[in-house]
Amino acid sequence: MKKRIAAGAIILAISSGCAAESGQEEAAETAEVSIAAASDLNPAFQALKDEFEAETGVELTFSFGSTGQLADQIENGAPFDVFASANVSFIDHLIETDDIIEESAQPYAFGRIGLMMKEENTGAAENIADLTSAEIEQLSIANPAHAPYGMAAEEALKASGLYADVENKLVYGRNITDAFTHIETGNADAGIIAYSLGIANEDGYDFILLDEELHEPIEQVIGVTSQADHPEEAQLFIDYITDGSGKETMEAYGFIVPEEES
Amino acid sequence: MADISLFPLFLSLRVALTATGLAILIGIPIAYYLHKADSRLGTLIDTLITLPIVLPPTVLGYYLLVLLGRNSAIGTFLEDTFGVTLVFTPAAAVVAALVVSIPFMIKSAKTAFASVGEDLLYSAEILGRSKINIFLTLTIPLAWRGIVAGITMTFARALGDFGATLMVAGSIPNETMTMPIAIYDALLAGDREMANVLVAIMTVVALTILYTINRLEKRVIQG
Repeated sequence: MKKRIAAGAIILAISSGCAAESGQEEAAETAEVSIAAASDLNPAFQALKDEFEAETGVELTFSFGSTGQLADQIENGAPFDVFASANVSFIDHLIETDDIIEESAQPYAFGRIGLMMKEENTGAAENIADLTSAEIEQLSIANPAHAPYGMAAEEALKASGLYADVENKLVYGRNITDAFTHIETGNADAGIIAYSLGIANEDGYDFILLDEELHEPIEQVIGVTSQADHPEEAQLFIDYITDGSGKETMEAYGFIVPEEES
Repeated sequence: MADISLFPLFLSLRVALTATGLAILIGIPIAYYLHKADSRLGTLIDTLITLPIVLPPTVLGYYLLVLLGRNSAIGTFLEDTFGVTLVFTPAAAVVAALVVSIPFMIKSAKTAFASVGEDLLYSAEILGRSKINIFLTLTIPLAWRGIVAGITMTFARALGDFGATLMVAGSIPNETMTMPIAIYDALLAGDREMANVLVAIMTVVALTILYTINRLEKRVIQG
């Protein structure tokens, strides 16, 4: 009896899986653009998805992740049409390996960083110099070794001459989301993370923008991949966020969109 | 909270079941060979098989990606001959799940074979049974407990794999987004509620299946 139940359950699982899969195939008749995007773009891109789809009739699917990992995947054949990276060096590398179409690559935003802390800690740090105070025991940033916002945070600390003093307070997150989680869970008293996260989490948190002169510009570049199935629709998306109605949404989420040069 | 899609759950179940099935077909013969082998080569292979457990899953996934991806020898061969890409498809998820879970299958089965009484097998041989017959009708049933333990751990590991799968199959919604990847995606998006719901669903389903397998083990022994 139990054997039959088990066998039945397993067959049910497999057939439901098959049903689920075929259901998805029927829906995909419109052009679909597959976008690989750095995880800091999650709130912004999700916000403009519906409007873009309504305006152009092109469906979007997003795969978020760390820029480095997505770049590795694209280099090894990942089926994405667009790559929105958080760091220009990865796009440059992919242009060299012929995985990104050079002419399509353009900056879509400049990232900004700032101090972030829970509202209960308001006043603990009003500017970057306050980070040396005893009230801030742990300071979280994204890992400067490979996360662009982490690098910028480190540069800002060094440019302000504070790095040596705060070095042993630093807690690294794999990316800015992890760095934010440290603050959220109370494991870090404050952090230097992306403006986009500050905007996405206004309730309960203070965010103080840092002077952009303190670090190299965080140039975020987007491009169409060489093996894109839908390159024209891919370019539509890029134009949408750099020059179209998507531009406002991007700026509302903390990405400073550069002026169109071409 | 966004709408819940159950696609990741069904994909994860299909991937884990397929990987477990393959692990049984490939792993048990290897385990038997390792059990019989007395040589240094046997010990070496045994050690190498444990390697996937030692390596960080993301690193393992990266090596699989480079080994099977479109730039690799295997990848280009598959594409030129069959027009098939392995990476970033559900098949890649099965490969990743298989690689990380097969060590458990092999180790458990090998230990189980070692516990089978040699005398019984010799008697059967003297009485005229063929080697295959002995293996299927005597060795496997006698080693059954250990084999089922292996199947359970293999299935659990295959179902829960994240790092290797993410790297070699990608996080493509409605195509390769398995349950662990969907949970991580929800966390990345800051949707704690969704993540918790997905974890709850996955836990209930996984526990039910594992419990059933464990009950099956007792049943077959008595039969």
